[in-house]
Amino acid sequence: MTQAPAQTSEPKASKVNIHEPIMEVNNLAVSFDNGSGPRIQAVDGVQMSVYPRQTLAVVGESGCGKSVTSMSSMQLIPRPPGRFDRGRIDYRLENGKLVNLLELSEKEMRSIRGNEIAMIFQEPMTSLNPVYTVGDQIIEAITLHQPVSTKQAWDIAVEAMDAVGIPDPNGRMKAYPHQFSGGMRQRVMIAMALACQPRLLLADEPTTALDVTIQAQILELIQELKQTRDMAVILITHDLGVVAENSDVVCVMYAGRVVEYANVYDLFDNPRHPYTRGLLASIPKIGSRHDRLVTIDEVVKNPEEFKKLPGADKGITPWWPWNDAPKDLAARNEPAGDYCLHKIADDHWVGCWRTEALKDDNSPPPELEFRCADQKQ
Amino acid sequence: MGTYILRRLILMVPTLIGLTLMVFLLIAMSPGGIGAALNVSSGGQMDSGTSKAQQQAYLEDRYGLDDPVLIQYVRWLGRVSPVKFGQRDQIAPTGEVVRAPKQLKTPPRYDVINDTLPEVEAPDPVVFDESMTQEEQTRAYRLASQHYTRLRADSIRTRTIYLETLGRALREIDQDKYVERTGTMKTDAPKRAVERALTESGMESEIRESLDNALSAYASAERARLELKAVFDAKPFREAGFPIIPGTLSVAAPDLGMSFSRGRPVTALIAEALPITLLLNFIAIPIIYIIAVPSGMLAATHRGSWFDVLSGGLYVALWSVPIVWACVLMLGYLANNQSGLGAFPVTGLHSIEAQDMTWLPSFNDGHFVRGFILDTLWHLCLPVAALVYTGFAVLSKQTRAAMLDNFNADYVRTAKAKGVPSRDIVLRHVFRNSLLPIITMFVSIFPAMLAGSVVVEKVFSVPGMGSLVIEAIFLRDREVLLANAFIIGVVNMLALLLADVLYALADPRISYD
Amino acid sequence: MPETQDTTRSLNPEAVTGVQLAQGIGHQPAKGFWGEAWSQVMKRPGALFGLTWISIIAFFAIFAPFLASGHPLIMSELDEAGNVVSTTYPLFAQLKATDVLLILGLIAAVPFFILPLGIDRSTRIAVAVVVSLQAMLASLIATAIRGYVTGRDVSDTIREMEQATWFPWAASLTCVAIAVLLLFWLVPLNRGFLRFGTSALVGAVVAVVIAMTWSVPLESFNYRQREAAGEISAVYTLIPLSPQQGDTVLDLAPPKSNLLAPAIKRLERSSTLRQKDTEGNRVPLSDIPLTPELLDSAISEIQAVDRLLPVHVTEFTTALRADFDSGQLENAKDLIDWINAQQLPTFVIGTDSLGQDVLSQMLHACRLSISIGLVSTGLAVLIGVTVGALMGYFGGWVDLLLYRVVEIFMAIPVLFLLIVAAAVLPRNTYVMMIIIGCVTWTGSARFVRAEFYKLRNQDFVQSAKAVGLPLRSILFKHMLPNGVTPVLVDSSFAIAAAILAEAVLSFLGLGPANQASWGRLLSDATNQVGDFVWWLAIFPGAAIFLTVLAYNLIGEALRDAIDPKLKKARV
Repeated sequence: MTQAPAQTSEPKASKVNIHEPIMEVNNLAVSFDNGSGPRIQAVDGVQMSVYPRQTLAVVGESGCGKSVTSMSSMQLIPRPPGRFDRGRIDYRLENGKLVNLLELSEKEMRSIRGNEIAMIFQEPMTSLNPVYTVGDQIIEAITLHQPVSTKQAWDIAVEAMDAVGIPDPNGRMKAYPHQFSGGMRQRVMIAMALACQPRLLLADEPTTALDVTIQAQILELIQELKQTRDMAVILITHDLGVVAENSDVVCVMYAGRVVEYANVYDLFDNPRHPYTRGLLASIPKIGSRHDRLVTIDEVVKNPEEFKKLPGADKGITPWWPWNDAPKDLAARNEPAGDYCLHKIADDHWVGCWRTEALKDDNSPPPELEFRCADQKQ
Repeated sequence: MGTYILRRLILMVPTLIGLTLMVFLLIAMSPGGIGAALNVSSGGQMDSGTSKAQQQAYLEDRYGLDDPVLIQYVRWLGRVSPVKFGQRDQIAPTGEVVRAPKQLKTPPRYDVINDTLPEVEAPDPVVFDESMTQEEQTRAYRLASQHYTRLRADSIRTRTIYLETLGRALREIDQDKYVERTGTMKTDAPKRAVERALTESGMESEIRESLDNALSAYASAERARLELKAVFDAKPFREAGFPIIPGTLSVAAPDLGMSFSRGRPVTALIAEALPITLLLNFIAIPIIYIIAVPSGMLAATHRGSWFDVLSGGLYVALWSVPIVWACVLMLGYLANNQSGLGAFPVTGLHSIEAQDMTWLPSFNDGHFVRGFILDTLWHLCLPVAALVYTGFAVLSKQTRAAMLDNFNADYVRTAKAKGVPSRDIVLRHVFRNSLLPIITMFVSIFPAMLAGSVVVEKVFSVPGMGSLVIEAIFLRDREVLLANAFIIGVVNMLALLLADVLYALADPRISYD
Repeated sequence: MPETQDTTRSLNPEAVTGVQLAQGIGHQPAKGFWGEAWSQVMKRPGALFGLTWISIIAFFAIFAPFLASGHPLIMSELDEAGNVVSTTYPLFAQLKATDVLLILGLIAAVPFFILPLGIDRSTRIAVAVVVSLQAMLASLIATAIRGYVTGRDVSDTIREMEQATWFPWAASLTCVAIAVLLLFWLVPLNRGFLRFGTSALVGAVVAVVIAMTWSVPLESFNYRQREAAGEISAVYTLIPLSPQQGDTVLDLAPPKSNLLAPAIKRLERSSTLRQKDTEGNRVPLSDIPLTPELLDSAISEIQAVDRLLPVHVTEFTTALRADFDSGQLENAKDLIDWINAQQLPTFVIGTDSLGQDVLSQMLHACRLSISIGLVSTGLAVLIGVTVGALMGYFGGWVDLLLYRVVEIFMAIPVLFLLIVAAAVLPRNTYVMMIIIGCVTWTGSARFVRAEFYKLRNQDFVQSAKAVGLPLRSILFKHMLPNGVTPVLVDSSFAIAAAILAEAVLSFLGLGPANQASWGRLLSDATNQVGDFVWWLAIFPGAAIFLTVLAYNLIGEALRDAIDPKLKKARV
């Protein structure tokens, strides 16, 4: 009984070349209809990539486009009012073939959803259908993607519930969602997401609605499963503590664009974009005394902060929508043409104005294969 | 669940009491009071020479209308209540509920004029012989009853004459405020007024004479009452219900009384009418659900499509068609021979010849014979059509709104992320959750349909509860109206309870335990 | 740097980011909550149709007495020689207090809403509402008083008092005093003198109007006979027939017929016009030759309705004879057409079974329909919101007790109660409004109860309590605006339902007595014998349908505009 999932997971993992990105987001732009007003550009020119057994953390304040990016890769954006303006999201299938997730038909997409890419949402309270037992809902996911009988599916579901640490999984299969606590429901969501051995997990603020101890347990669980299954994880959050603990690569977003992209050590030790610096400075650090904390505003409203970038003398200025563009802006005649994600150092990208200096910068999406676990070894 | 249903059933009692009390008070508030219609449709044991006041007094006594409204209501409640106190009622072979003769009223304020009531000797108890047949027992009771009725009428007549005399006397001494408009003295006039009328009006001998008449009539009526009581106590008929504590507490079926206007037990009238109304509704409600739910679902899944827009518009239009207009138009253009197609019957529930038809359709000498069932269905076409069309709008809109609501729910996003095909999302996830409001709609559709049948039955002359209500209202038939309110209330509240039980079955989150 | 800003904007002109919105790019000025809802409503063609139709009905509701009346606008008494002796205005003498008050209100409303008085629009609307409530309450009390003092079984002292000249003035002042005192505190003007002034001014006007119209002269429509006799000459309104003005011989006259309709009806029943050919089909009227005998019988039929005509009947008979002699009339159809073409008051859409003009009745019925809908729904919302607020706020035994009352109304179909109540209570418009209002309040009560139940534990209510605000202020100032919006939106549907209820009651013969009503006209369309009168089915039925549809469409548009769920679904 416990063997079944292990057998299915082995071949998946073995074929995969863990040194090729499993998903690459390239120049993604999504906008929404806003009734009588102009469309709202939710994300524009977003670039990122994620490797197997790697956690990419996407950080930013609410409304910066984190969720839109992840929802786009599952085609879960309601269209209309939503619309993919530009760009592509390339996903590497098991056989190494690349597909553009934005252009898949609904039918092709269905075989990806739940099977290749799974998703966990931030509202465990409402994300389960209240009128079906949790067992029904996990089994539904399994039978959709695996050619198994209901009995086998039941066993796989019990196994998945056990794997995420739900006590008495066999008995709890028959319970309804409202009979679970919030943390347990999120475990059910994870069990459901992992039941089909996905290769990429999109965790959209999985712990926001939970209390701190449960939060740690859930994140630990995700980390563990990532290691054992060679899964890639995109962790969407606004909690920098969570990022520091759980991620390998960090992508900081603001106003629908990536402002900084680096591995987690690099980013925390040496933040290059003033917004990232402000973000980090506004967190109290244990062990050091502060009279008062620095606010983000104090950093980003200081013009000096924008001149600290290497190559600032050449006119490389961090992109910041609240600032006026530099005088030598060489905007391309295309959406988000005033911006580019510039590789400022090895394995470190910063969103910059497309000034004369960066006129011809056509850098591809950041590819950063970095895993904390490897470093420790 | 069992305790919940029991609790709901118990809670129905105060609601039903409040409901019938409200209807009772409404009828009592009407100009002329409850008895207004009786004066027109009078009938009974009075001679043609009696005055209007005497006639009215007789009728009021017969139907118990001379008591305060609340006492009348409590009396009605006692009859309807399944739990009964005191002596058990008996049921005559006709189905009429026979109860012990009620106390006779003494002439008001007789004590001012004449100290004593005449003594009435109690008759010997009656015991029926074992050998007496049911018919003989019935005859014995009827004889005693008729004798008593006659003497009681006489007693009421003399009592009214006494009151009229006093009324005249009071007018004589300018005490008009104690005189009713009919010319009789008000029964609650103070003793002092009666004393003054006796001494100051100069009509003392007249008053005394009328009182003497009234008292002697009272005495003989009381004697007849006791005789009747004796016969009743010998139990000429089958006793109603079964006893809990013999002689004091028993349980029996509710007695809804006798119709004022038709002279038949109300229970029998309702037993004829209720099945027809329920038949109408139980044909109509499935039709509404079968048409409205799928079209609401289709509108929701194709939001903004031509079907959505068109069905939305059509349903608002249908919803706005007054049911009376729909009935009139159907009658005029579909049923009427001269102005319309004549395709449907104009009135009634059956054709005249339907009585001779077989149940099922058949061929007879090469002619198609509809048969009883088809004939009934054919007659029901237009009434059902008039009942259902408003329901479509309400239910379809509700389904659409509920589905759209659930389309935005988080669990739909989860299902999509699992890779569930959109057809399954609609049917398995969204529709299953939208069932709740659809069931809830039953709560508002069912009473509306019951009400709608009032109009439909009136226009198409279908002999259901609606026709009964309308007729009872125009005749001010208190018993029928109250019984209708009571029965409709019970049916309706049972339907609401059913909806709540279904609700709990549909939604695992709801438990009534 | 305006240059670069412009480039940014022109790069992607159709979409903006949140930051740009915050910077004011692509930003749209916000309207108020109701303003936004209203502008959404006005975008819906259905709602526009509804508003237009209701405006039309409202227009007729106010002006019907001036559009359709059997009383002449101007009546000149003539002497024997035909000279004008005196001129009177019977139509104005017949006006009721409500007619006058409506017109005066309309006249006053125009400058009140246009002139810059230094008060904002919502205050103006509130003042207008309160003022009309005061006027309505006053005339309601006046009707009640008049009903009492002219009742059948009233004592002689009161009857004498009623005859006195001072009585109307005293009565009207009493009515106005009660109405103004009841609603005085509602006038939303802060400045004392304005507040007092508005109430006093309106009160005075209402009092004068009520007193002047206290005793309504008996309606008698003998103008036509007097015209025919040459006693008067009269100028009538557009439709020269009152709703109650009818003659039994005119019953069920078809559309476009005139006062000579009974003559045509009698002629058509005669054997000459009902000839059948050999195959049993009716011979068409145009094939029946107009013989002198037929002409004679036509003339005698016309003479039989002499008493209805405003001119001497010989004018028609001689004209008919002249036209016949000159050979213009050849067959029976020509004869019928000739009669229908006479210059006489015409029943544009026919008459009902009492011989009363349908169009005139339909115009006068507009007022009943509009006012029943508004007043009874207003009453229902008032009761419902108050009871619901008390239930939701207090909970406990208040809730338990009041909810039993609500349950009673849930247990029985509203229409059943309406029918019982309407059957036993006096048949008049005000009573019917009150009945409908008192029977339909439970919906809003249940809604407000649920809302208040949620609201009462919220922080702003707790803090209002903590500050020590009085209960009235907590309930009505802080909680009500948060919980009442959906009830107000749904009241559009409630108005539609009230109009339907009135139609059903009138159809069943339980409507207000002596009052034109669409439902009553509709009930004439079919009868026990099985006749079907199409013009009585189509026109009144369509009027009810369109009015109900109008309110339902407005309600739908309003609900869509305000429903937060639908808004959420958009982004």
